[in-house]
Amino acid sequence: MKNYPIWKSFTVISLVLLGIIFSIPSIIYDENSENWFLKNKINLGLDLQGGSYLLLEVQLDVLYKEELDNFVDSVRLISRDQAVKIEKIDIQENEVLVFFANKEKIKDIRDSFFQMYRGVSLQISNNRLSIKLNDEYRKIIQDSAIKQSLEIVRKRIDESGTKEPLIQRSGKKRILLQLPGVKDPERIKDLLGKTAKLTFHIVDDENTSALQNNLAPFGKIIVLDIYDENIKYLLDKRSVVGGENLVDAKGSFDQTEGHAVSFRFDTEGAQKFGKVTTNNIGKRMAVLLDGVVITAPRINSAITGGSGIITGNFNAQEAADLAVLLRAGALPAPLEIVEERSVGAGLGADSIAAGQIAAIIGMVLVCVFMILIYGTFGALANVSLIVNLFIIISLLGTIGATLTLPGIAGIVLTIGMAVDANVLIFERIKEESLKQTKVFQIVKNGFDRAMSTILDANITTLIAAVLLFAFGSGPIRGFSITLSLGVIASMFTALMLTNFLVYMYLSFANKKELKL
Amino acid sequence: MFGLNKIIPVEPNINFLGLRRNFLIFSILAMLISIVLLSIKGLNLGIDFKGGTLIEVSTKNTSIGELREILSSSYSDVSLQEFGNENIILIRLQNKSNQESIETVNSVKNLIQDKVVEFRRSEFVGPTISSELLFRGFQAVSFALIAILIYIWLRFEWQFGFGAVVALTHDVLFTLGLLSILNVEFSLATIAAILTIAGYSINDTVVIFDRVRENLRKYKKLELVDLFNLSVNNTLSRTIMTSLTTLLALISLFIFGGEVIRPFALTMIIGVIIGTYSSVFIAVPTLLIFKFRPQDEDD
Repeated sequence: MKNYPIWKSFTVISLVLLGIIFSIPSIIYDENSENWFLKNKINLGLDLQGGSYLLLEVQLDVLYKEELDNFVDSVRLISRDQAVKIEKIDIQENEVLVFFANKEKIKDIRDSFFQMYRGVSLQISNNRLSIKLNDEYRKIIQDSAIKQSLEIVRKRIDESGTKEPLIQRSGKKRILLQLPGVKDPERIKDLLGKTAKLTFHIVDDENTSALQNNLAPFGKIIVLDIYDENIKYLLDKRSVVGGENLVDAKGSFDQTEGHAVSFRFDTEGAQKFGKVTTNNIGKRMAVLLDGVVITAPRINSAITGGSGIITGNFNAQEAADLAVLLRAGALPAPLEIVEERSVGAGLGADSIAAGQIAAIIGMVLVCVFMILIYGTFGALANVSLIVNLFIIISLLGTIGATLTLPGIAGIVLTIGMAVDANVLIFERIKEESLKQTKVFQIVKNGFDRAMSTILDANITTLIAAVLLFAFGSGPIRGFSITLSLGVIASMFTALMLTNFLVYMYLSFANKKELKL
Repeated sequence: MFGLNKIIPVEPNINFLGLRRNFLIFSILAMLISIVLLSIKGLNLGIDFKGGTLIEVSTKNTSIGELREILSSSYSDVSLQEFGNENIILIRLQNKSNQESIETVNSVKNLIQDKVVEFRRSEFVGPTISSELLFRGFQAVSFALIAILIYIWLRFEWQFGFGAVVALTHDVLFTLGLLSILNVEFSLATIAAILTIAGYSINDTVVIFDRVRENLRKYKKLELVDLFNLSVNNTLSRTIMTSLTTLLALISLFIFGGEVIRPFALTMIIGVIIGTYSSVFIAVPTLLIFKFRPQDEDD
């Protein structure tokens, strides 16, 4: 038993060396290195490097309601074509009930409607047609809304100049954003908080009674002014042209109007815009952003060039941000921020420094304690403990895991728990030394007997860590990763490295008896 | 080679099981008090589970009183707290809806802009998220208990699994009770701490159970109480050593790890002590309920 197998020594030494070598990139930590080796460093979580985590929820209810409104408009048009009078329309939560004056043509109406909206549930009972938003139809709306929203959010974030953003779908109707290094999260939130639906409508200044009674006739809508809630406009419901026809927008400065946003339409938009302005000279054209009027200038001449400016009481930043929003396009539905965690770079740096100090002091305390209790064997266990730390760091670096503040706590905790396997082994050796005198037999038995206990004990900790990973979010997952890696690494260092060190020590010191 | 480990004798002979009634009464009382505390006083829920806004600022030439005065004129439910040192202040606000989040943070920032050196962090958790997080935390802890039970059941006999889960439930309840008394903030990190405590406590229990199982095979004639006592004594020095090294690391984390991680470290410290205690005084005595002999014959 005195000759330690060469393959085993080789394995142990090479694993230890690998652990040390691959922890170098994380220890040097050259942030911008492109070197293939130095790139294998630990990623710092947002709570350590500073940045914003945002969870956005797509307000699907708004879309469902919009779709119901579309149903109503369409059914009105169809029945007008068929010359059937509608007695009453009842809009419920996810259903529209249309009552017709007679039921002769109701089947035709249903069929024409179905041509327009395939997939909705249509039901006729007597003179009533029920149009229902069923689950499949909602799912179609939902999926396309999320997809579109993701795209628009990505464009807006890119435009805002954020580096390396992570943007992904989370669950059914949420979008998760991780924005490292963002200094002004409020501006980002402002950018995301707007739907930015831009539309142009002709203003009806003739029908003054509609505004007084606050009752819009069919095909018209009443809209508020963005700056003064007392100002109302009566507009054509149909927009002349919308933001989807924009090809460019940028902040500009106008001598008379101040900061403004200049824009350019694509060919289709320019044609529509030119036609409408030609036909409506003398009338006003309202510019609507998210359902309120920003400005409503009079059309003095036909605008056929396809470009124009939007004025309002903007400052430079507001004009620039509006331009960003218009370039990126409108969100299909409003986004609501349901969770935000932003950390400044200062706190992140403080956390790293504090974590390092805690880890070093914890390490020193544990090492001193082990030497006090187990003497030379304690020192051997300490070598394992230090190697253990290197291995954790190198694993975190090579698998590209993200280190968070709870993750650092996990490492410090691991320092305390990692010696457990060594303790179990040493205690067994102590017991064995009472039974016999052959040094190497004692050590062999000690390691063998401790093995199953070490496995059992560590697997239970791993179970808890895996569940934490499954149910935890961001930073907590960081904790479960370092804890799991720490537990696995500690099993290796105790069962292989400490084992190797103890044999080497006993061989070289040529011990004839063992008293632990 | 001469270490201090001889303080603890290799074969100590302490009658742990003889004291089991006293400790059982103590633990039952502790659990009852915990349940009462949790239902009356409850936990000091952080924004993770209660929802709301939290802003951490570092300040200059001002006091917490002055800031409180500025903010309380605009917000009725604002609370301020020094965080680590007097220049760092935590501001907490209760939002009623998601929509308020942007406006709240902005207006707070504007109100105290000239007193602040740096906005260190801001967190907002909406009401839907906070209830989801609470549910998921609860789920994680329950699943962990069940998974551990199953593992122990597979590796040992089911009676051991029962003993382990009794001890674990005890640890979780007792720890929560102490968190309630000490008014420690209960956050996502606390859930992580509790799960880790569960893992740690079970680790401790498994080591002792392992020895119980070994001794059951080795000493067929020994009285159960004596056999359990022997097993606890066999593993005593390991139990103490591991708890101490873990506590050393945690105390270092508590003192030097920074303000944000402190509640986590404190929860872990409490849990490690309780977990170690329960392995010896709860998990093992629970096994006495079952008659491992004479039916016990597996070898």
